[in-house]
Amino acid sequence: MKELLRFENVSYHYHHHDGRQALDHLSVSLKQGERIAVLGSNGAGKSTFFRLANGVFVPSEGTIFLEGLPVGPKEKHRMQLRHKVGLVFQDPDVQLLAGTVEEEISFGPMNLGLSPEEVRRRVENAMESLDLTRYRSRGPQYLSGGEKRRVVIADVLAMEPAIMLLDEPSSNLDPAGRSLLEKTLEQLSREGMTLAIATHDVDFAWRWADRILVFHEGRLERDGAPQEVFADKALLDRCGLEQPLLWQVAQVLGVPALRYPQEFSEIEIVRTLA
Amino acid sequence: MIAALLAALVLYSLFAGRLPALWLGIVCLLSGGFLFLLGHHRHDGILVMDLYARRSRLCRENAAFKMAAGGGLLILSICTASPWPPLVLFGFLSAVTVIGGKLEWKSYISLLSLPIIFLLLSSLTLLWDFCQQFPADAAAVLPFPGGWLAVLPESQQRAGLVLARALGAVSCLYFISLSTPMPELLTVLRRIHLPEVMIELMVLIYRYIFILLTTCRQMQEAAASRLGYGRLKNSLRTTGLIYGGLLGHSFQRAGACFDAMESRCYTGQMVFLTRSKPLSVGFALLLVLPFVGMLIWILLTL
Repeated sequence: MKELLRFENVSYHYHHHDGRQALDHLSVSLKQGERIAVLGSNGAGKSTFFRLANGVFVPSEGTIFLEGLPVGPKEKHRMQLRHKVGLVFQDPDVQLLAGTVEEEISFGPMNLGLSPEEVRRRVENAMESLDLTRYRSRGPQYLSGGEKRRVVIADVLAMEPAIMLLDEPSSNLDPAGRSLLEKTLEQLSREGMTLAIATHDVDFAWRWADRILVFHEGRLERDGAPQEVFADKALLDRCGLEQPLLWQVAQVLGVPALRYPQEFSEIEIVRTLA
Repeated sequence: MIAALLAALVLYSLFAGRLPALWLGIVCLLSGGFLFLLGHHRHDGILVMDLYARRSRLCRENAAFKMAAGGGLLILSICTASPWPPLVLFGFLSAVTVIGGKLEWKSYISLLSLPIIFLLLSSLTLLWDFCQQFPADAAAVLPFPGGWLAVLPESQQRAGLVLARALGAVSCLYFISLSTPMPELLTVLRRIHLPEVMIELMVLIYRYIFILLTTCRQMQEAAASRLGYGRLKNSLRTTGLIYGGLLGHSFQRAGACFDAMESRCYTGQMVFLTRSKPLSVGFALLLVLPFVGMLIWILLTL
């Protein structure tokens, strides 16, 4: 798999804080098409990691490599990061700024300096894939929480990044909104987009991710496959995390951990047959 | 309530000595009662206005034309020397805004009540003068320490004209803002090359006014649920705390919003993709005819 983004010993501290590092010597690499869940309690460094990867923050130490090339501290260098690595913010209201959904989605592509036809094409595509075409002339501030979330994802999608980072996308969503979001993520992933999602929802991480990064107090505590991470009870306790519900159920039943509830029925059949 | 009393008072002063007493009383009572029943001023007026503009049927019409026509009529209504053309314009444009845009009369009048309070207050000061000698030709006189407060016929003339012009102008502005959503206004302003800084400020203010008002309402509700408005002393304190907190919140918010804009490659110029709306002939005639009519009136009465 092609490597898209690599952090080498990257540290970051906020100026106004008491010298505590928001991110401490982080080394990690993201590859094409991966589905990464970023776990960790509040203030563990997930959002800082995303803002650094997106080029909004500049590393205090260390280097970020984009497609093998180091990214300099200058504005124009960080612009490449912003172009290739899209970031969907946790609070949609922070991100929404235009008067209609269509204009809102066009903000990013217009900033890339594309021709109006190309911008129009990208906006149409993004609206199409997030099922937003019927809201095109509505004001984003009047939409519901789930619809706003889809608009902010479309915002970033229209910039056609290679990696998309989503900061707690399922917070404030109702169950229907959540399942729609999951479908959207599934579809983006199938189209080859690299996705990294910061979340508190371990059930979602277990169901969806093929790789998990666990952050704790500004450090990357673990980088591994879901099976490996959730098997480490000591790690989960230390980082304030829990095992997914299905994992716990599987343990009680004494069967291998499964990703979806439906898979349990197959085990039942196997059992009764045996 | 205040608007109703003010309206009755202003109309009394305006027509005192010009109408028979009975008619004067009827006019005052009617206008006061009308405003009292319908003119409930709402605090979320800005949010409501934008919503009405989006829902209005006139929203489909070309924004540049609406702004040009509204602006042109506004200038003409300020230029007239007689109070009648602006008053007719007021009625006409209100009808266009309400009937053409399928807005409710009640909401239109409720939105009008805010500027009308300002207009009435300022016309009161225009109407009543302080005289040291007893004014013989005054239409209404009140004794006042050191002299008299009086309404003179010439100030009636002047206040009537000012009130009529202002009403006409307000109807023009309401026509524009209740039929054209803010983003379209901004596009037009950009096309006529208003300085970029001003436009960006307008975009940001438009966007964050929603956030600020929503935050403010949430904080007020949260404070009310903890009995923050129980007594006068408490409610003053709560109000102070909320506005102080709002400032802090806004700063934080502004920082977060700027990060979000930067993350989408913002480099200092805010541009969006926009669609143009065609101009329909019927609508154009609807506004061009009164424009020409007023222009002719002004030229004839010069």
